[in-house]
Amino acid sequence: MVIRQLSAETVNRIAAGEVIERPASVVKELVENAIDAGATAIEVVTSGGGLSLIRVTDNGEGMAAADLALAVERHATSKLDDENLFDIRTLGFRGEALPSIGSVAHLEIASRQAGSRDGFRIVVDRGRKSAVAPSAGNTGTRVEVRDLFSATPARLKFLKSERAENMAVSEVVRRIAMANPAIAFTVTTGERAGLKLPAAADTADGLLSRLGRIMGREFLDDALAISGEREGIRLQGFAGLPTLHRPDQTQQYLFVNGRVVKDRLLVGAVRAAYGDLIPKGRFPLLALFVSLDPRDVDVNVHPAKSEVRFRDTAAVRSLIIGGVRASLEAAGHRASAQGGMATMDVLARAAAATATAVADDARAVVAGDAHAMHRAGGDRAGSRSASGMRLQLDSGFAEAMQAPFSAVDRSGLAAPTDAAGSGEDVWDRPLGVARAQLHETYIVAQTRDSVVIVDQHAAHERLVYERMKTMLAAGHVERQGLLIPLVVDLSEAEADALGERVAEFAELGLAIEPFGAGAVVVREVPALLGKGDVAGLVKDLAAEIVSEGAGFALKERLEAVASRMACHGSVRAGRRLTGEEMNALLREMEATPYSGQCNHGRPTYVELKLSDIERLFGRR
Amino acid sequence: MRLNIERGELLRALGHVTSVVERRTTIPILSNVLLRAKDGELSFKATDLERDVVESVKADVSSPGAVTVPAHILHDIVRKLRDGAEVEIKLNGEKERLTLTAGQAQFELQTLAPDDFPDVSAGELTHSFDITAADLKRLIEKTRFAISTEETRYYLNGIYLHTNKRDGVEMLRAVATDGHRLAQVELPLPNGASGMPGVIVPRKTVHELHRLIESSGDSVRVGVSQSKIRFEIGTVTLTSKLIDGTFPDYERVIPQGNDKVLTVSNAQFMSAVDRVSTIASERGRAVKLKIGSDKLVLSVNNPDGGSATEEIDVDYTNKPLEIGFNARYLLDIAGQLEGEEASFMLADPASPTMVRDVGDETALYVLMPMRV
Repeated sequence: MVIRQLSAETVNRIAAGEVIERPASVVKELVENAIDAGATAIEVVTSGGGLSLIRVTDNGEGMAAADLALAVERHATSKLDDENLFDIRTLGFRGEALPSIGSVAHLEIASRQAGSRDGFRIVVDRGRKSAVAPSAGNTGTRVEVRDLFSATPARLKFLKSERAENMAVSEVVRRIAMANPAIAFTVTTGERAGLKLPAAADTADGLLSRLGRIMGREFLDDALAISGEREGIRLQGFAGLPTLHRPDQTQQYLFVNGRVVKDRLLVGAVRAAYGDLIPKGRFPLLALFVSLDPRDVDVNVHPAKSEVRFRDTAAVRSLIIGGVRASLEAAGHRASAQGGMATMDVLARAAAATATAVADDARAVVAGDAHAMHRAGGDRAGSRSASGMRLQLDSGFAEAMQAPFSAVDRSGLAAPTDAAGSGEDVWDRPLGVARAQLHETYIVAQTRDSVVIVDQHAAHERLVYERMKTMLAAGHVERQGLLIPLVVDLSEAEADALGERVAEFAELGLAIEPFGAGAVVVREVPALLGKGDVAGLVKDLAAEIVSEGAGFALKERLEAVASRMACHGSVRAGRRLTGEEMNALLREMEATPYSGQCNHGRPTYVELKLSDIERLFGRR
Repeated sequence: MRLNIERGELLRALGHVTSVVERRTTIPILSNVLLRAKDGELSFKATDLERDVVESVKADVSSPGAVTVPAHILHDIVRKLRDGAEVEIKLNGEKERLTLTAGQAQFELQTLAPDDFPDVSAGELTHSFDITAADLKRLIEKTRFAISTEETRYYLNGIYLHTNKRDGVEMLRAVATDGHRLAQVELPLPNGASGMPGVIVPRKTVHELHRLIESSGDSVRVGVSQSKIRFEIGTVTLTSKLIDGTFPDYERVIPQGNDKVLTVSNAQFMSAVDRVSTIASERGRAVKLKIGSDKLVLSVNNPDGGSATEEIDVDYTNKPLEIGFNARYLLDIAGQLEGEEASFMLADPASPTMVRDVGDETALYVLMPMRV
């Protein structure tokens, strides 16, 4: 066997395989370059799924002729000097992108520096560099990539359809755009103008409006601002209300120093933060921005920089959990606006369907509005959660809504409750004044500009549960000692992981000690659990710690017991409440955190805006 | 098969065997009771594959035979018949249905083939002995409250029945524990039981046995082998498989050196525990025992409900001690005590406490405290 030194060209192509995986990765590298160059407007044009053409134009600072020649050399970059690999403040730094692209495609870069009269261009055709030549152009840089992967035909076979590649391209830009609200982005894939994001102010409002354009309108309505700071790590961003959720994690974004990263840290932290507020198998929407000293994070882990390592993972994690929790808590009883919107939608459709006597034009208004609202619900990917809600309402709530209204004349109505302490200020409360109880299940309340319908059982259950949880947190957990200690066999890794957190568990009432290799012995259990399956609990805990680096099972188990007790101990549907009782319930909901959804994550109330109701009757 | 039988006899026998039949089974024949008519006797047999109950009663058999019919339905029918009615039972060979006639009422029941009826009682028993119903009842009653219901430690799901020597005398001992508390009762070893294997009698068998002793018999014949146990109580025979596992070395958890002795009046203690634990509405609440010289203060504090304290006079001369117990467990044990006075042998708030009737060495209870 003969050992050969590979040619520079081959080396570049191998490197390209890591950095340039598909057209979207080219776009990512070029757009990040543009941002690092200080651009305020970036335009991306692709055709043929990015294979025949990718053109990224920016209005950044541009390059001089000499720099241009160097830019396409391997490991040449303006973003790093040899001293500070551990102090990275730009998106790029590896100096790999341009030569990699140049080695597998036809690359042309044209650039004019701000303040310079002359522009230049350079062409690299599958690794062969041409000389720098003068070229006319605007300030900034234009990079054109044609015939991508023509030098590595094998790669071509692994690409997805043109459509899929186009989507990947806009997804990449979208993610970058989320972190850069002040930069305007335009993406044109194929014939269509895809994404158009005007520059927004570089403030929280600007960020939110940018996020809303990308994550969907309902996120805009239901987002809570998150902010926090701890040990030099800053957290900002927006998180959706717990009643806004979707079946997958695709709308959970984590940005570290402006860079999108995928990290299972986020998954675990989000789960811990939302905890019992979200139904099982549903995921909240959020976009979080963590900024910290570049020296505290290692971004040089992955060629595409989509993974990072934190020096202090636990601090970041607890900052995220704490920040999100604090905002959710502050949101108190707020439920997703989607509930009310979806309800109106159902009502509007029902009205359109049943009211045959209504004049055609009036009906057109109603139906049209329903559609308008539907569209407002968002035509983006994120709108699926709204339609999930709509489904729920279709099956159960529509009847519940219809029946009471037709039964109002008869007996379903409890006494109106004007007298019950409805001073002026009560009208301004978020949940207003209780007006009636329908079907002995739903409380109808009136505020200045809306009608609120509360599910009394769901609401009360949440209140009782929150009270229990407070008690659980305040009082130490009572522990039952085991007469015969229980030995639980685990894998060695699991046993070690548990062993490291002994103190944490002891606080929750579970006394564990390491017991040789691959086993632990349980000496005390939380009394609340009774005689439940302790071995199963310990195994769940261990598995969770190993997979997510954190254990919630124990707390969840305790809370599940509390939740079950809450369910039994709360006001049932079907009990008639007096006006005072109803008002007291509303006031307590306003004061209790997380009261917008019941223990199972369903909303506890919906709010129908007066304006929507008026529209329903064609008055607007 | 054809026979006549008095309703009362039928009802009594069905009452004995039917309760072993599970209401919901995946194997249809397990819902049935096997009836076998022969030599002037009608025998009943019911099983859940872990145990079976057999009983025979006199009947006017005009033609022998065997059949199985749904047990609970048959039991319900007989229960609703007029008292003292004469019941005629007849198997209609062609349609394979059992006809039951009493007065003007007539029922036809679906049957299943008797040959398919499972047999769990076969097999040799290596040891057998007689024990009075009262003794057996005591062994069960004083221990069964501590049987574990948790399935992972399946070997705790029953009463451990075994022989043991105390002061040179051989004893028959019953022990049950759920890992939180333990109960142990013993009595002099009956003749013939010497050398019997230690066996774990499953919880459901214990409950069936207790029900059967309750209703009949003064002497019970017990047969034991490694894998089975049989109780013959009058005309009823209960045969059960045993829990195949090793009972833990329980003697290690019975404290030997607990020197702080608290003596209380049984009735007073029990009613005081009962009163203060009213506040501990949910499970898992602790009763705190504050023990001073000749004085015991029981207290419960439930942040959600309120608090309760009660002071009682006791005999105690050691150092003051505070210790917490699960209210439920304390009540369970207090309910087992029957003498005038009970003594608690304590060590410290984190170690097991032993409880027993004063002057009765045959029963003892061990309870693990709660940390509050």
